[in-house]
Amino acid sequence: MREYHYPKLGERLYREVLPNGLMVVVVPRLGFARKLAYFVADYGAVHRRFTLDGQTYEVPAGIAHYLEHKMFDLPGRDVSAELAELGANVNAFTSYDMTAYYFSCTENFEPALKLLLEFVSTPYFTEESVEKERGIIDQEIGMNLDAPDSVVFESLMEGMYRNHNIRVPILGTSESIRQITPELLRLCHRAFYTPANMILCVVGDVDPERVKALALERLGSEKLPVGEKEPQAAEEMSAPVPVQENKMEVAMPTFQLGFKCEPLGMGESAIRQEVIGDLAAEALFGESSQLYLRLYEQGLIDTSFGGGFETVDGCAMLTCGGDSHDPAAVRSAIISRAAELAEQGIDETDFMRMKRSALGRRIRDLDSFDSTCFRICAYHFSGFDYYEFPGVYESVTAGEVAQFLRRAVTAERCALSVIRPLK
Amino acid sequence: MIQTIALLPGVTLRVFPAERFKQGCLSLQFLRPMCKEEAALNAIIPAVLLRGTTAHPDLRSITLRLDDLYGASVGALVRRAGDYQTVGLYSSFIEDRYAMPGDRVLEPMLDFLEELMLDPIREGEGFSREFVESEKRNLIATIESERNDKRAYTAAQMLKRMCAGDSYGVPRLGECAQVEQIDADNAWAHYQKVLRHSPVEVFYVGNGDPEIVAQKLRRLFGRIDRAPEALPEQTPFRDGGCGGDYTEAMEISQGKLSMGFVTPIFNKSKEFAAMQVLNTVFGAGMTSKLFMNVREKMSLCYSIGSGYYGTKGIMTVSAGIDCDKEPVVRAEILHQMEACCAGQITAEELAAGKEAILSGLRGVHDSPGSIEGYETVAAISGLPLTVEQYYRAVEAVTVDAVAAAARTVRLHTTYFLKGVDA
Repeated sequence: MREYHYPKLGERLYREVLPNGLMVVVVPRLGFARKLAYFVADYGAVHRRFTLDGQTYEVPAGIAHYLEHKMFDLPGRDVSAELAELGANVNAFTSYDMTAYYFSCTENFEPALKLLLEFVSTPYFTEESVEKERGIIDQEIGMNLDAPDSVVFESLMEGMYRNHNIRVPILGTSESIRQITPELLRLCHRAFYTPANMILCVVGDVDPERVKALALERLGSEKLPVGEKEPQAAEEMSAPVPVQENKMEVAMPTFQLGFKCEPLGMGESAIRQEVIGDLAAEALFGESSQLYLRLYEQGLIDTSFGGGFETVDGCAMLTCGGDSHDPAAVRSAIISRAAELAEQGIDETDFMRMKRSALGRRIRDLDSFDSTCFRICAYHFSGFDYYEFPGVYESVTAGEVAQFLRRAVTAERCALSVIRPLK
Repeated sequence: MIQTIALLPGVTLRVFPAERFKQGCLSLQFLRPMCKEEAALNAIIPAVLLRGTTAHPDLRSITLRLDDLYGASVGALVRRAGDYQTVGLYSSFIEDRYAMPGDRVLEPMLDFLEELMLDPIREGEGFSREFVESEKRNLIATIESERNDKRAYTAAQMLKRMCAGDSYGVPRLGECAQVEQIDADNAWAHYQKVLRHSPVEVFYVGNGDPEIVAQKLRRLFGRIDRAPEALPEQTPFRDGGCGGDYTEAMEISQGKLSMGFVTPIFNKSKEFAAMQVLNTVFGAGMTSKLFMNVREKMSLCYSIGSGYYGTKGIMTVSAGIDCDKEPVVRAEILHQMEACCAGQITAEELAAGKEAILSGLRGVHDSPGSIEGYETVAAISGLPLTVEQYYRAVEAVTVDAVAAAARTVRLHTTYFLKGVDA
C-alpha cells in the first residue's frame, strides 16, 4: 500500500483502492494496544430511491437502519458472541447518509477483521428473524419518541424541508417498518454493500499489507455494480413550517434552531464550504462570541447550548439548540447578530484566533481513534482526504465567513422546533 | 510508570509521562465527603470559577484566552468516588511541539488554572452575585433535566431509595432545594473551607517536564493557608431500610425498569474481580445473559444492561420495556441471575465476559483521558489494584468464583416508570 505523509500533523497513513473498488486506509499507531476498524457503506436513511440493473426502486423509510440490525446474523452462528470471544467490541450505526460497522480490540485483530468483513458482506435474512427484529426496532422507535433530543431534532427537519428524505426519522416509523421484507433487505444489500461503495479504515499498530490482503481474500477482486442513488428532490431555500411545537415530559423548554444552507458538492470545494460553515457558527454563537456571552448572561441560554454546521447528502444547515425559557428570543438575537456581523465584517484578529483554536481542537481530536476513523470515512465519501484539513483552514478568509452569514442566517431560511413541558 | 510527588501535606501530584499523544491533560481535584449538606455547594464552585477572574472578567475573555492557547479546554470536574465527591477543574491542551515555533502551551495553561482557582471576581465577602445566581439557575436546570432521559431518571430514583442510608443516595450534583439555599457569600465561605482543608489530587498526563508542573503547583498551593484534614474512611453499602418496589406513572410510550441489588463484595474484597466478571457475564454488553435472552431470544425490550459499583457493592439493572411486560421482564432478569448462581455459565460466556474487562484494561493507556480517569478514580476510591494486577486477577476468575459471587447478590429495590395509561 502507498504511504502518505502529512508533516503539519506529524501523521502518515497508507491508502489504496483495491481492484474491487474498495478504498482501504490504514492509520498506523505504533505501540498502542487498541486497534479500531470501520467498515462503512456510502448508504444511509435518506437513500430511498435508486436504480439497480436498469430498474428503479423505492424502499420504505427506516430500511437502512433495519438492514444494519440484520447484518449481525450468519447462518447458524452468532456474530456478536464470536467477536466477543475474540475480545472485540463490535457495534454499528446508521446515519442519514452512512452505515458503519466497527469493532475495537487489543488482541486477535486479524480474526476479528475477517469476521467483520464476512458478516457485513453476507446477506442472510430469514422471514422469522426479520419478523423478530421488528419488535426490537419498534421498541427503539418508542424509546426515541420519549427522548426530547431526538424529537426536537426530527421535528426541526420536518419544519425545514419540503421534499428531502431527512424529513423522516432514520429509524422510520412503526408503520413504515412493517413494509420491510427479507427481499427488500437483500435488494438494498446488493445495491449498496458492494466494495466499490464502501471504505475500510483501520487505526492501530497493524500491518497495512495484511489488512489489504484480508480484504481481497474475503471480498474478492471483482468489481460489482453499485446502486445509483436518485438525487434528493430540489428544495426551495425557505423553511415550510417556521415553528414546530411539541409537549413532552421535560423539565424546561428545549429547542433546536436551523438555517437552511446550499447543499455541498464534492471534493475540496465542499470541505472548504464546511470549514466556512464551522467558522461561521463559531463567529456567530460559539463560546467565544459576543452573542454567546450576552445570551448566557441574560439567562436565555445555559451550558446545554451548542451548535454547528451540519451536512447530509443533498442538504446542509446551520443548527443550534439547548434549553431555554424563551427560544424565540434566542432566534431573533441570532438573526440580528448575523446581519450585524455580515454588515461590519469579522475582525481579523478575532478571526485568526478562532482559526487557531479550531485547528488546535482538530489536531487534539486525532488522539481519538474513533473520531479519526469516523472523519476519514465521512470525508472520503465527500471526495476529500481528511488529513488535508490544515491547508483548508489556512486559506479560508474572514470575508467568506461574513458572506456565508449574510446569505444563510436569515429569517426566511430559519425554522424553530420547541418542546415545552406538559405542565 | 506513574511518578507520585508529595507536593505539600495533603497535596499529591501524580505524573504519567507520555510522548505519543498530541495533547496533554491535567486534573486538579479537591476531595470532599459526599453528603447532602455539601453536594450542591461543591457542584456549583467550579462553574462559578469558570465565569470570570479579575484579569479575564467574563466568559468571553476566558474563552478567548483558551483560543489563544490553541483551543485548550477547561471544564468543571465534579465526580463521585465512593463516599467522596471531588471538586475541581479538568483541562486538556495541545502538546507544545504542535504549537507554532516559539509558542508554549503547558506553562501558560498552568498559570491560567491558578488564575481561575485563586483570582475569581469578588463582591464584598463573597463571589460575584451575578455569577452565583446564574450558575444556580444552570445547576437547577441540569438537575431537573435528568428527567429528560427516562432511563437515567429511573435509575436515579431507584438509587435514591435504595441508598437512603448511604452517601450513594445523594445525587452527584445535589438537589434543587439545596441549590436554592446557596448565595454568593456562603458559596465563597465554603470554597475557602474546600481550599484550606481538603486533600488534593493532581494528575498530569503528557510530555512536559514534571518538575515544571510541580513548581507551578507549589506556587499555587503556597498562596493558600493550608490546614489539611483527613476524610473519613470509605465504607461499603449502608442499608437505610427503604428497600422495596416503587412505581411511578408518566406520559411516556416506553416503560423503564430499574432494579438494585446488593453484595458484600466491594473494591477491596478478594472476590472483586469475580464480581466484575459476574457483571459482564450477567448483564453488561452484547454477549451477556440479559442481552442474549431478554432482548435477543425473547424480544422483551430494546435496551437492557447491568452495572456494578465496586466502591459500594451495588449492582443495577436497567431496561426499556413495554409497560405491560414488567412482571415477565422482572421474572426473567431474576431467572438469569439464578442461572449465574447455579453456575450455568458456558465457557464462551465466561471468556467473553472476562475479555470485555481485559480488553478495556489493555486500552486504558491509549488515551490521556482514560489514563486520568482510571488512575485518579482508583487512587481516590482506594482500589488496591494497579491495571496490571487487576488484569491478572480477572484472568484467573473461574466459573465457580463467578457463581459464588452471584450467590452473595440479593435484590434490594426496584423502580418502575410506566405510562399513565398502563
